[in-house]
Amino acid sequence: MSATPASNWVDGNGGVFVAGIGLHPYQFPSETPYTVLGLTAVRAALADAGLAWPQVQSAYVGTTSIGMAAGRVMFQHLGSTGLAVTQVENASASGSFAFRQACMEIALGISDVVLAMGVDKHGDGRRAANKDGLERLSDTATIPAVKFAMMARRYLRERGSGMEAMAEVAVKNHGNAALNPFAQFRKPRTLEQVLASPKVVGDLTVQQCCPRGEGAAAVLLVSGHALRRLGLEPRRCVRVRASSANSERNDQNDGEGAVELVRASAQAALAQAGIAATDLDLLELHDAFSVEELLYSEAVGVCAPGEGAASLQRGDSRIGGRCAINASGGLIGMGHPLGPTGIGQIAEITRQLRGEATGRQHPNARWGMAHMIGLGSVAIAHVLSAGQP
Amino acid sequence: MTSPDLTTLSPQKPSLYRLAADGHTLDFLFAQCPGCKGLTFPANAPGCMHCGQALEHAERIARPGGGTLLEYVTLHAALVPGMTAPRIAGDIRIADKVVEEGVIGVTDEAQLAQGMQLRAVAVPLASGEHYGCQFVPVQEARP
Repeated sequence: MSATPASNWVDGNGGVFVAGIGLHPYQFPSETPYTVLGLTAVRAALADAGLAWPQVQSAYVGTTSIGMAAGRVMFQHLGSTGLAVTQVENASASGSFAFRQACMEIALGISDVVLAMGVDKHGDGRRAANKDGLERLSDTATIPAVKFAMMARRYLRERGSGMEAMAEVAVKNHGNAALNPFAQFRKPRTLEQVLASPKVVGDLTVQQCCPRGEGAAAVLLVSGHALRRLGLEPRRCVRVRASSANSERNDQNDGEGAVELVRASAQAALAQAGIAATDLDLLELHDAFSVEELLYSEAVGVCAPGEGAASLQRGDSRIGGRCAINASGGLIGMGHPLGPTGIGQIAEITRQLRGEATGRQHPNARWGMAHMIGLGSVAIAHVLSAGQP
Repeated sequence: MTSPDLTTLSPQKPSLYRLAADGHTLDFLFAQCPGCKGLTFPANAPGCMHCGQALEHAERIARPGGGTLLEYVTLHAALVPGMTAPRIAGDIRIADKVVEEGVIGVTDEAQLAQGMQLRAVAVPLASGEHYGCQFVPVQEARP
């Protein structure tokens, strides 16, 4: 472990701590109003933190498909306290960027108690890339599944692995999700079931792809000064050690852009936190498609380059292994309702670092990274640690 | 059955391609950046894809459509409305540092290989008014 950097912006105002977490289970599209989803998560986070709504000074809401001004429509049912409300959208990483904004507001000393949440209903998937006025040779050119299926072909070919290596990611993550009461999928899957599920594109089958869905997740952040002033339980407050964000550089290197994007953001976050990738006990990452977990585990550095599939086979990334990857079930198993997903990652890592992940606890968890990517592409990484503030 | 006269049809995506002189293959339309001289596709993109310079006054250049096949997969399900499945999509390097996804006009991946040269050909569409673009192995790009 390298020395802590002399100056880390996230240490401002006494540091940034996750004091409360709450979720509405991720689920298939339903008639449930988004306000019910969101308020369930926020009320759970308030109760978990031992805080009251009037104490929250600012709120960031990550969402992609609900429409304008989702925050106040929802928060008025908690009380119109006059807090600042900001809506954040960055595709799959919306919740993660809402979290980052909340961290900045606390570290800068603007506020001491901030809500970061994500809430989403399944939408029509409209995206700016289809409104840029430019025609494309293929009508699937903006479909991520096609891009990742091609990356999967290349990955498996270069590492001499069969499609089973990729499908094992889905087996692990469905198994983890089966232990997570907030997950959209609650049944373990065998390798045979995963491979036999309908083919989507290339070697990707349905059970190797994240589902459509809805849900909500919320975390309450406090400054280190507020933690003491409010008399919160220090052992249940997880510290934010790093927040790093970037976007893809010009990708003309035959598909390496996404991997480099992940590598750069993860390395920046690790450097900010003053740790090495091998110090991570937990990693929640963007496994919308199974191959991504193999690619990004290498890019983050929790396994050696080229060792993603082998590391999984050895059990390194299982709960109880060297570094549990997607202990929540990941996007494949827990679900990917978009807005909430990044917040859900933070909630899972917080739960694990507290030692409260009943039934799926990764032992001796001290350091965790939540990593997300979004259409564009953009990437964001947060590092959290357990221990006394 | 004789092939339709493609010269009587219009391009489905006129900003991207036009019928070549042989009446069967396609020419792609690029913009050449006045700054870095790189080619940008499509030609009406608002900025050079290599250096970001505005392209309002860039020279438009037509080159034979096609390139090197880098990767390909079969789309087993209709991923967008109106798409027929199965269909093969591929990433093709159509110019130096310009990689685009295209529709591959073969029915079996066994007919393809990484690194093979593809040619863009005009394919009459069901509307009867337009032709679209598919990529086929160079040796098959003859009317």
